[in-house]
Amino acid sequence: MTGANEFKLTQGPDDSVSAVKFSPASAQFLLVSSWDCTVRLYDVSANSMRMKYQHLAPVLDCAFYDPTHAWSGGLDNQLKTHDLNTDQDTIVGTHDAPIRCVEYCPEVNVMVTGSWDMSVRLWDPRTPCNAGTFTQPEKVYTLSVAGDRLIVGTAGRRVLVWDLRNMGYVQQRRESSLKYQTRCIRAFPNKQGYVLSSIEGRVAVEYLDPSLEVQKKKYAFKCHRLKENGIEQVYPVNAISFHSVHNTFATGGSDGFVNIWDPFNKKRLCQFHRYPTSIASLAFSIDGSLLAIASSYMQEQGDISHPADAVYIRQVTDAETKPNYRHSDCAVIITVIVKVVVPVIIAVIVTVIMVIVAVIVQ
Amino acid sequence: MAECDAEWELCKENIQPLRQGRTISALHQALCQQQEGNQTALNQKKQAFESELRLYDGDDPLDVWVRYIKWTKQTFPQGGKESNLSVLLERAVTRFTADKKYHNDARYVELWIEFAQGIGTLQAALYIAWSEEHEKRGNLKMADSVFQDGVKCGAEPADKLHAFHRALQARVCRQMMSSMTDQQRDEDDDDEGPADPQRSSLAELKARGKKKAVVPINRVSASAGYARGLQFKQPLGPKQNSRLAIFDENKAETEPQEPKFEIWMAPPTARAKENEQKPEKWSNVKLPLKSRSGLSVTVPPPKPSFQPFVEEDDQPPTVTPCKINPAVNPVLSARKPCRPEQTPLKKLQERQQLMQLQTQEDGKSREQSMYCRELLDSGATEFCFEELRAERYWQKHTH
Repeated sequence: MTGANEFKLTQGPDDSVSAVKFSPASAQFLLVSSWDCTVRLYDVSANSMRMKYQHLAPVLDCAFYDPTHAWSGGLDNQLKTHDLNTDQDTIVGTHDAPIRCVEYCPEVNVMVTGSWDMSVRLWDPRTPCNAGTFTQPEKVYTLSVAGDRLIVGTAGRRVLVWDLRNMGYVQQRRESSLKYQTRCIRAFPNKQGYVLSSIEGRVAVEYLDPSLEVQKKKYAFKCHRLKENGIEQVYPVNAISFHSVHNTFATGGSDGFVNIWDPFNKKRLCQFHRYPTSIASLAFSIDGSLLAIASSYMQEQGDISHPADAVYIRQVTDAETKPNYRHSDCAVIITVIVKVVVPVIIAVIVTVIMVIVAVIVQ
Repeated sequence: MAECDAEWELCKENIQPLRQGRTISALHQALCQQQEGNQTALNQKKQAFESELRLYDGDDPLDVWVRYIKWTKQTFPQGGKESNLSVLLERAVTRFTADKKYHNDARYVELWIEFAQGIGTLQAALYIAWSEEHEKRGNLKMADSVFQDGVKCGAEPADKLHAFHRALQARVCRQMMSSMTDQQRDEDDDDEGPADPQRSSLAELKARGKKKAVVPINRVSASAGYARGLQFKQPLGPKQNSRLAIFDENKAETEPQEPKFEIWMAPPTARAKENEQKPEKWSNVKLPLKSRSGLSVTVPPPKPSFQPFVEEDDQPPTVTPCKINPAVNPVLSARKPCRPEQTPLKKLQERQQLMQLQTQEDGKSREQSMYCRELLDSGATEFCFEELRAERYWQKHTH
């Protein structure tokens, strides 16, 4: 199943994978948090595990602060930072309920955590200490950072946009444009907007600028649905990851498929083979050359037996991730030829013939 | 604890009474927590109930709901939106509608009673009881409009409803008539019966009674009272007039030839003075919107003719707590916020319609959700896979 451009990580976690994150410095290092209460650091180029540290309970998310510091939080409500050079743990602080998301905002140099205690907390990564608690209307399910803005997706299909430089008020309160529970939100690398996926096979592309003409551009589409015996099976879309160079994005669903989308031409660029079980998390490397794919059952259909959890590393090409402009260019050229050049040629020929006829008649 | 005692003294008026009473300790605790702004414990407890709702595998799932609702009532003495009680009740009640086991369970019925502000809307009995309640309190207008609502809803049995409606109208007429006669006696000195107005009104009833051979206190088919009621009500408003015309068909022929017709022409205008409208510009007058009861006439508040004084330097603060530009805000929300004044029944009906629509849609496109949708939906608040799984994890690892 795994071809030459893809391999499975050895020494994978013992339980489901909750998140995979590439290092901000190189495509060599990958963090993997898991329900087996560990966070692991992999050397992807050597396909080996470099380091592993423990939480008291399953870990729901992890993030790099810098290439040598990992942050993570989970069901034990604790936010931990781990020095990857010295292999030292520090408990930075706690939430009142499990921590669902951990992200780093390089623009403001702050770590952001979102929790089921209906709050987002900011942490100063240098001290490290708590830099503020911000109540959200509902349990936080997902969050993403776009420049200095923070996009929080909560239960009840709410989306809140905060300004990380001024957390005194909510910049925008939105409702998800999708009808069902929000699974994942990821911001465009160009900071213009974000992509939101729902539990019922749908993805929305939204823009942050509230002006009418920009908002007109937003759209949503169906995906991660399989037709079987005339019944359309609708799967949750659990994971989104953006290609930092091309602004295209990959989505992973509980159907085990990974799709790469071109949001500008509203096209699917490619679909990979079907992975053994649900896609729980996706991560493009910083240079966009690798895609880490966590194929891991998330108990969407209850606590039942399932294929083994695994993390795959796939090399992606420009053909798979770059918006395909050449195709549309060709189309434009052809229409120009048909519409302009052909009539001109015909007109020229007709006049030449008429001139010749006139000469002969005279 | 001493402060909390004071707390209880200070916010008595904010505490909704419960039929079964409140435990003082729970009340203290709830008030203390609110004072401290400590939402964490509440949220944790709520979350615990929510996960119990989903992961319960005993044979009495209602028990969890009952405990949850009881806790909610004790913990949110002010009621209100954050208690989420109406949603809870609705979910609890709808969840077990198909469960025969609970149909005669006292707890379940109690939940229904609490929830049901809209049950029996198609039963004539409800409207009759409702109207009588209004009448008892002297609100005859409401009593009448309740009947009209009943008729509009098509409550069954219709003839029973009509019979009671007529009886009400008869009573109203009699009452009005007696007051009218009083008035008239006071005004017209040359009237022949200045001695006792009561008696004369009774005499009239007798005169009518001769025809129909009914006792004066006639509750069902008081044609006399009814006919007069028609005359009385005519000047009150076009709405009422058209409404009463429905009942005309039975006795329309006989009544207009009543000998007393002319006599009673005068009082209504005197009566109508009460509602007399001031002369105003006709071009500006709007027809009142059709209200639910068909009775109330909404008069828009008059615009003040003066300009309220605003100090020039009294600018609104530049930093408002909500920074959303109202002009662009609608762009961002896909749906309108739900109205809080909805009744439970309306919500239930809407939900059912939605469910029907969804099942229709599902039937059309034949979609199947590939996750445990029922489990996620089965509580009062939303859950995600991870929360469910976390609950399973804790169950496994704490025992």
